[in-house]
Amino acid sequence: MTRIRALLGKELADLRQNPSIVVPAVIAGILSMLLPFFIAIIVPALAGERLSDSSDFQIALETYREQPALGDLDPEGAIQAWIFQQFLVLLILTPVAGSMSVAAYSVVGEKQAHTLEPLLATPLTTFELLAAKVLGALAPALALALACFLIYLAGVAIFAQPGVVRALVTPVSLAVMFVLGPLAALAALQLAVCVSSRVNDPRSAQQIGALVVLPVAAAFILQITGTFRLTLPVVAFVALALAGVNMGLMLLGVALFDRESILTRWK
Amino acid sequence: MLRVDHLTRRFGDRIAVDDVSFELAPGEIFALLGPNGAGKTTTLRMLAGLIEPSSGSVRVGAEALSRRNAPRLRRRIGLLTETPGLWERLSVRRNLLVYARLYGMADPDAAVDEALDVFNMRDRAGELAARLSKGLKQRVALARALLHRPDIVLLDEPTAGLDPASARELRELVLRLRSQRRTIVISTHNLDEAERVADRVAVMRARLVAVDSPAALRARVFGIRVRVVLGQPAASVVGVLTERGFSDIQADGHTLSIGVADHASAAPAIVRHLVNAGADVESVVAEEPPLEEVYVRLLDTTFARPS
Repeated sequence: MTRIRALLGKELADLRQNPSIVVPAVIAGILSMLLPFFIAIIVPALAGERLSDSSDFQIALETYREQPALGDLDPEGAIQAWIFQQFLVLLILTPVAGSMSVAAYSVVGEKQAHTLEPLLATPLTTFELLAAKVLGALAPALALALACFLIYLAGVAIFAQPGVVRALVTPVSLAVMFVLGPLAALAALQLAVCVSSRVNDPRSAQQIGALVVLPVAAAFILQITGTFRLTLPVVAFVALALAGVNMGLMLLGVALFDRESILTRWK
Repeated sequence: MLRVDHLTRRFGDRIAVDDVSFELAPGEIFALLGPNGAGKTTTLRMLAGLIEPSSGSVRVGAEALSRRNAPRLRRRIGLLTETPGLWERLSVRRNLLVYARLYGMADPDAAVDEALDVFNMRDRAGELAARLSKGLKQRVALARALLHRPDIVLLDEPTAGLDPASARELRELVLRLRSQRRTIVISTHNLDEAERVADRVAVMRARLVAVDSPAALRARVFGIRVRVVLGQPAASVVGVLTERGFSDIQADGHTLSIGVADHASAAPAIVRHLVNAGADVESVVAEEPPLEEVYVRLLDTTFARPS
């Protein structure tokens, strides 16, 4: 644990010296936060129409009519709450995007900078090395995700109809943000670190690691089309599955990390 | 302290290190010499437990290095890699501090302070590694390799690319390590450096061509020779020495080169014979061909192919 902490400290210190590496994540966060405000607030205001006038949002109305706790929202508020809740899933992408470049660069970057060999000459085990690398990318990502979430809630409180923000702070949305989000980000990062320890180029790691965005995007589409709804049991099931995936990825990462190849074949 | 038995490493069909054996005592400096691709770095990596041998073994103290105990035994080994490998965006202190913690030092800050003092880097502690000169980076890298006070120090091309003053400073540091009874293995192309610091040198090209002290290798290749400079043509006094039993004599202008069994006993006798014969002896020295000559001759004779 001491060695993981030591290397994690280095990763975070390195990040502080090079904050530009998280710029793509900040941009992704801002975009994923702004998008629902455009749909739910800005576009209707500019068009002079109400969301509840559109037949396209009837799914939202049906969804929210089933929830007695939201009974005090008028149709416009219910549709806004529906839109803002769907886009919470998109906020999961923010930490993933944010940490991907950090994770992708983690092992191959050390090799390219000639800093990996002295590191491997210490008592550091492969598990400790990979764990520190993953956590080093995850920590800033989670901080960013939390910041995005709080700004998102503040924006909703200010610009949406009264009561909409209360509809967002539900056990499901909190579980999505604080359980599914970190677990999905962790899986993405582990994948990126695994790939980073097998390729010669950080770009390859980033591209392959980014594939993890696909299931999150698929979940977003399925939910927004009403194909499935994130309920607490679904969140719990997905969380368990992601925990299993993360454990598997860590074992895979340790098994795939070939010190000898990295030292002798990478140039 | 460090024992290597029949160490062999293959990469596919290529044998990088072939049946290498040697044993090093505490406080010994051992230089690995060889051309590029001779297997020096691969040997050091196996000694550091970074890569495994295809066959053979490395013993650190009484323990054979294996995948299982490598993380633990690496605490006893310090490796200076070919490039300094510092984290450029971090300060000198931070670079060292991370390693002090990775090695589990009881008081990492104190260990770093001590290293900064020993390597005379206290005033540069807060500077980013990226801003250091190559010589200073190498010094920090050496401080990092020695931070955990290893018994065995492995140095891969420690003075490559350094200016003469920095190289000299580094050699002095290495000699100081010997006085602390550390066992040191240096891989180098710099034969002068090897001669200055090493107790023994190993000439290798995948396998060990020769292992001995520089003086013994010189004697093995060229024999022990005494060079005498005379005031007259050397050929005129060759007979004086052949009559006294010296058979291996080369005369060139005013210089005689005489093969002897032992320099210390032969040189006074030669001078006496020459002076008694009326020769003017201007100087007498033990002939010491540069180690480079020894190295080239060893590699040429070992790897020369019949035409």
